[in-house]
Amino acid sequence: MKLTQDVVQGGLFLAIGLVALLLGLDYPLGTPGRMGPGFFPIIISAMLCLTGIGILLRARLGTSEVIYMTRWLPLFIVSGAIIAFGFLLDKLGLPLAVLLLCIGAASASIRFQFDWKAVAGAAVFSLICGILFVTLLGLPIPLVGSWLQAMGAP
Amino acid sequence: MDIFSGLLLGLQTASTLTNFTYCFAGVLLGTAVGVLPGLGPIATISMLLPFTFGLPVDTALIMLAGIFYGSQYGGSTTAILMNLPGEASSVVTTLDGHAMAKQGKAGRALAAAAIGSFFAGTVGTLFIVIAAPLLAGMALSFGPTEYFSLIVLGLVTSMVLTSGSLLTGFGMVLLGMLLGMVGTDVNSGAARYTFGSPDLMDGLNFVVIATGIFGLGDVLANLEHESSRAASIAKVSSLFPTREDWRRMTGPILRGTGIGVLLGVLPGAGLLLSSFSAYALEKKISKHPEEFGKGAIEGVAAPEAANNAAAQTAFIPMLTLGLPGTATMALMIGALVVQGVQPGPNILVEQPALFWGLVVSMWIGNLLLLILNLPLVGLWARLISIPYRYLFPLICVFTAIGVYSIRNSAFDVYLMTLFGVLGYVFRKAGAEPAPLILALILGPMAEEYLRRALLISHGDASVFFTSPVSVGTLLIALVLLVSILLPAFRRVREEGLTEID
Repeated sequence: MKLTQDVVQGGLFLAIGLVALLLGLDYPLGTPGRMGPGFFPIIISAMLCLTGIGILLRARLGTSEVIYMTRWLPLFIVSGAIIAFGFLLDKLGLPLAVLLLCIGAASASIRFQFDWKAVAGAAVFSLICGILFVTLLGLPIPLVGSWLQAMGAP
Repeated sequence: MDIFSGLLLGLQTASTLTNFTYCFAGVLLGTAVGVLPGLGPIATISMLLPFTFGLPVDTALIMLAGIFYGSQYGGSTTAILMNLPGEASSVVTTLDGHAMAKQGKAGRALAAAAIGSFFAGTVGTLFIVIAAPLLAGMALSFGPTEYFSLIVLGLVTSMVLTSGSLLTGFGMVLLGMLLGMVGTDVNSGAARYTFGSPDLMDGLNFVVIATGIFGLGDVLANLEHESSRAASIAKVSSLFPTREDWRRMTGPILRGTGIGVLLGVLPGAGLLLSSFSAYALEKKISKHPEEFGKGAIEGVAAPEAANNAAAQTAFIPMLTLGLPGTATMALMIGALVVQGVQPGPNILVEQPALFWGLVVSMWIGNLLLLILNLPLVGLWARLISIPYRYLFPLICVFTAIGVYSIRNSAFDVYLMTLFGVLGYVFRKAGAEPAPLILALILGPMAEEYLRRALLISHGDASVFFTSPVSVGTLLIALVLLVSILLPAFRRVREEGLTEID
């Protein structure tokens, strides 16, 4: 079977619906007059399963477009860079974490070149972010993170 | 409180130096981010949200509203100059707007959009002033039954009015409702779908999901096709409409405003339907229908007016009922909840300064858009021309900081990334995410109202068919569902929606 839009949609709906249905069965059901926490999830996830099956059946008609991937890499680089940012934010402080995210994400571009211009641009931007978000807007994010403080930075 | 003293109170609230400054800042920032290709209102609002966190509630709401019209308007600029619609409702504008731009009439197209938007915004605001108190009064008599039916109508309309099949839309609505169930069940205190994680006990934050799907998802989708993303920007010539332009756009602006004001109030119907129907109407009644699509100024003025009028009146269901009509309004509700305000009919009684201040500032915001944007159009054109490879790392940074700062949680950053990837998958699979976003807010409300309605009726579901308001609402929903299955309507919908993504 080719990977068409309908296959992905139907598969996604059916898979999520099934998991939600199985988990939902664990919650007390209650009665219509006194709905328990399981009542609504079971209805919704059962309907989601049916919708998923419906779309999978429709996929057999072969009318939806086939999905092609042209570039996998940006998906991993960008999401990896953002997850790293979340992890490092309070450990390195805002400016350094922004600098890493900026360069990390930028490297997903086909035109990216790692040179002094890219680093300088990202450095200026991360300083601006530090001033804007921490100093001016007062967001409670450290400018110098816990790792750096442990190493004796001011 | 009568309308006059309400407006006076609103004027007092909106004209304080702080509120005026933030309204101005919101409009300016909203436009600046909104003109950037690929950043529609939802992504723009969620990116700029942290700027409002430290502000008092009224100031924050005024600024958010400013960001909202700014981004809406910025989208039209991009649509006209670059043929790139930032969001679905600007698609119609690209048809004639970009055709005009290619003929060297970009300035006049932008002026038609700006003037049409301003007029429509003014009328839309007046409409809120008159209709909102009435509706809020009515809403106070609504019980859980009526609310539940209204929510059903909202979800049905959002399904009918998105591109792709109805079945797909239905699946996205259900998925959104399921995501809305994550967290602690308010009634029983049971933890649902939390997988034992304390981070999920409070539920999935709406802003986090919207930012992931619309902000990050868009970046991921654009990067895949990066090489093809080269677009030319039309030069902006004279901004002054000619006498002929004025003559040709007056009627369309008036009619477009009327359509937008009415359709904007419908839950789920929103901007898309209004701009599309305004365009279709002008094409139908025009003496020169063959000019449409080739640079007819009517084709810019009418949908832009309709779009903006609807953008104003879309606030009505949100402010008076607490029900968002569009995905953007759902995000506004999410932002309000972050601020500790629960929108609904009580907002008018309990926080009149907030309500009236917002209404007056809407008009001020529209005026600012008009006087700011035409002179600054050169600046916007330059912003548009920033290459995407410089832009997208900054988008990543702003979304990540924004999401983190909601509750200082790295977990939310991870969650946003997950939904970014999911948003990318949705795009690849041809599933429009707007109904999911709407259902995410409406789902928990639907459950709560269903539960209360059935509790009152002792489990008898026939209550939904005995209350007149509820029956009427459900009938409208049914008519919408049936009409989409009719060939004639289906064709119109496909014509209007297929290009939209």
